Amino acid sequence: MITFEGVTKRYPDGTVALDGLDLQAPSGRTTVLVGSSGSGKTTALRTVNRLVEPTGGRVLIDGTDVRERDPALLRRSIGYVIQQAGLFPHRTVLDNIATVPLLLGWGRRRARSRAAELLELVGLEAAQGRRYPHQLSGGQQQRVGVARALAADPPVLLMDEPFSAVDPVVRAGLQEELLRLQSELHKTVLFVTHDIDEAVRLGDGIAVFRPGGVLAQYDTPERLLAEPVDAFVEGFVGYDRGVRRLSFFPASRLDLHTDAVLDGGRTAGAAARTAASTGEPWLLVTGADRAPLGWLSAERAAAADPDRPLESLELEGYGHIFHVEADSLRAALDAAMLSPAGRAVGVDPGGAVVGVVSQADLAAAIWGDHG
Amino acid sequence: MGEAIRWDWIARGLEDPIGTAVLQHLQLSLIPIALGLLAALPLGVAAARWRRLYPPLLTGVNVLYALPSIALFFLLLPYTGLTIWTAVLPLALYTLAILVPNIVDGLDQVPGHVRQAATAMGFGPLRRLVLVELPVAVPAVIAGLRVASVATISMVSVASMVGLGGLGALILREGFNNRFATPIIVGVVLTAVLAFAVDGLLVLAQRLLTPWAPRRGSKGVR
Amino acid sequence: MSIYDLVAAWFADPANWSGPGGIPARFAEHTAYSAAAMAMAAAIAVPLGLATGHTGRGGLLALGLANAARALPTIGVMFLVVLAMGIGLVPVQVALVILAVPPILVNTYEGVRAVDPGLRDAAAGMGMRGAQVLLRLELPVALPMVLLGLRTAAVQVVSTATIAAYVGVGGLGRFIFDGQNRQEFGMVAGGSLLVALMAVLVLVFFWLLRRLAVAPGLRAREAAARE
Repeated sequence: MITFEGVTKRYPDGTVALDGLDLQAPSGRTTVLVGSSGSGKTTALRTVNRLVEPTGGRVLIDGTDVRERDPALLRRSIGYVIQQAGLFPHRTVLDNIATVPLLLGWGRRRARSRAAELLELVGLEAAQGRRYPHQLSGGQQQRVGVARALAADPPVLLMDEPFSAVDPVVRAGLQEELLRLQSELHKTVLFVTHDIDEAVRLGDGIAVFRPGGVLAQYDTPERLLAEPVDAFVEGFVGYDRGVRRLSFFPASRLDLHTDAVLDGGRTAGAAARTAASTGEPWLLVTGADRAPLGWLSAERAAAADPDRPLESLELEGYGHIFHVEADSLRAALDAAMLSPAGRAVGVDPGGAVVGVVSQADLAAAIWGDHG
Repeated sequence: MGEAIRWDWIARGLEDPIGTAVLQHLQLSLIPIALGLLAALPLGVAAARWRRLYPPLLTGVNVLYALPSIALFFLLLPYTGLTIWTAVLPLALYTLAILVPNIVDGLDQVPGHVRQAATAMGFGPLRRLVLVELPVAVPAVIAGLRVASVATISMVSVASMVGLGGLGALILREGFNNRFATPIIVGVVLTAVLAFAVDGLLVLAQRLLTPWAPRRGSKGVR
Repeated sequence: MSIYDLVAAWFADPANWSGPGGIPARFAEHTAYSAAAMAMAAAIAVPLGLATGHTGRGGLLALGLANAARALPTIGVMFLVVLAMGIGLVPVQVALVILAVPPILVNTYEGVRAVDPGLRDAAAGMGMRGAQVLLRLELPVALPMVLLGLRTAAVQVVSTATIAAYVGVGGLGRFIFDGQNRQEFGMVAGGSLLVALMAVLVLVFFWLLRRLAVAPGLRAREAAARE
């Protein structure tokens, strides 16, 4: 556990970078420090490995004040990842990863073999270990940066905007990778970002900083989106926080309708009768293995030749689908908004239709469960 | 050099030999700088446009720059005789090693979108070069001129060894050959003063020529 | 006899290739003067440049002095030192060192200062101590600049060591000044060619040194940046 006790950093010119920070980052979890520039989040991070010495308060790692330890030795026991990776241009990728083990006196052979393991762990090929940093893409360099930080297997990992210099697609991949690594390694991670979406995605806990180095709110991502403590935090987490909060609720909790789902082999007459009895304005037609074929409106069902099979009629595209077991309410709502029928199609892992849900049903579910 | 500076010698020699030496020194250094710039501009423009020319050109001027001036002066002497060309030609060649890379770097600094905008507005290649690219390159060119002028003004003194004038002649013939320190000190100090004066004038010229540029001359390292 | 014939004749004369005044001996003298001055200048300027570059303290002062020194005429410095200390090898060496220090100092300082602050941050953050940051990061990354400074200084030293012959010591400059006194143009031009040859050898030497000493990652990065 990393504990901040009243940590303050005031520079000689009077600027206050960090103002009385109290925070506990639990072991084995990812705690994200988020805020705009000048909010003190990076300063807070750097007090942990003593790259910044606080002017007040103290920082403890598992109950030990970091000031009791020699700075260099302390830093070798903490992984550190920075923006643009900070890889040494004159060393090969493998030697970059081996930096801290070599500083710890592991010997070249053991340090190299450990580096090779890590290269694989972060998803790079062994051949890339012999290359130089400038020969890698930005995303690959960032992976090497993470591998380098993990080399000596430190319990604590400090990450200072590590993914902010790469493009969104690569960033999403790196975030995914970090989640995977963390599920295996269970490090105590402090992660600094200015991107609230990244914070929500990666954090078990999120600390929002306001300008002037003051902690505004420290909560789980879910509660942060549900109950921002004040207008500043609400503004920071964004106007669509309500919708984004839906990502924390599983779609499996929805009641899906199955009475408006008809096999493509049934006739238009049968469809018209179903529409009349259920009062559904839209019917979902399915094909082989209950895969969705498209939407049929009640009017068109009534107007068509009653004996024609549904699969021979012109159908509206079924639009986006959501996976009942894996997706969140947010995905279901998104699918409903994009559907021509105003209804979302839920499928099982095999792609077979489980049922459909209307925007109105979704609204009721959201309102009822979490309003 | 036991005695302090002989001020009386300086007072007597203000016009001749000191004044004459300063004028000769200026002539021997400013002509090569001007010639060097004249030659470096087309070379730099060509190297910036035809990239494959640049590496061999750079190697060429760097090797030239490494050749000791005293050797070149003596090798030229039978062809040029005791005229200023003995010193002017090698010194002009030396400035190329500083000016050509600066011109190429300066032209490289012209942003691609500026170039495209100029072409889109109907500038031909020559007009674009003269009206858009060279003005943008002026700070880099002047940074090169500053380094080149300090180096040239300091190097001109060596020309005295082949019998030419300038402050080097003051140092060598009035000073060292008579085992008399005062002219040497005067020569050294005046050379530095000339170098700084020309440097200051170039900074001033840059401010006048490029009122739009940020006020920090890029530093050339050599 | 043409100029070319005079020079060819001088090089062809076996008498010029032997004894204490022969070409090999003079070449060795010139090399020894230059190498000794360079070793001393590097021993002074490289640590000073590394220290000022690493700490950032005193750097501007060192830079200002070094830049001012570059405006001084080499022959003025040489003759002044010789006049002050008397004729001999030591004053010549002192003058050569004075001239060689500024370019080495400036380039070393600039090279260290140009190291990306992010790299320094990463190095400190991984637990490198000050000396480790300097030796394992800053020096290798700054090495191309340090070598450029050494090359610039070496070229200047070789050139100025030629002039040193004027004050009575050996080296290749002897051929030039003795030839001038005896009105033997073949000798003057031959000496000049030998001095030029030595300068080219200095360039080749530093080109090889760069290939050997600079990490391939840095060389390739520079090549990539040039394209």
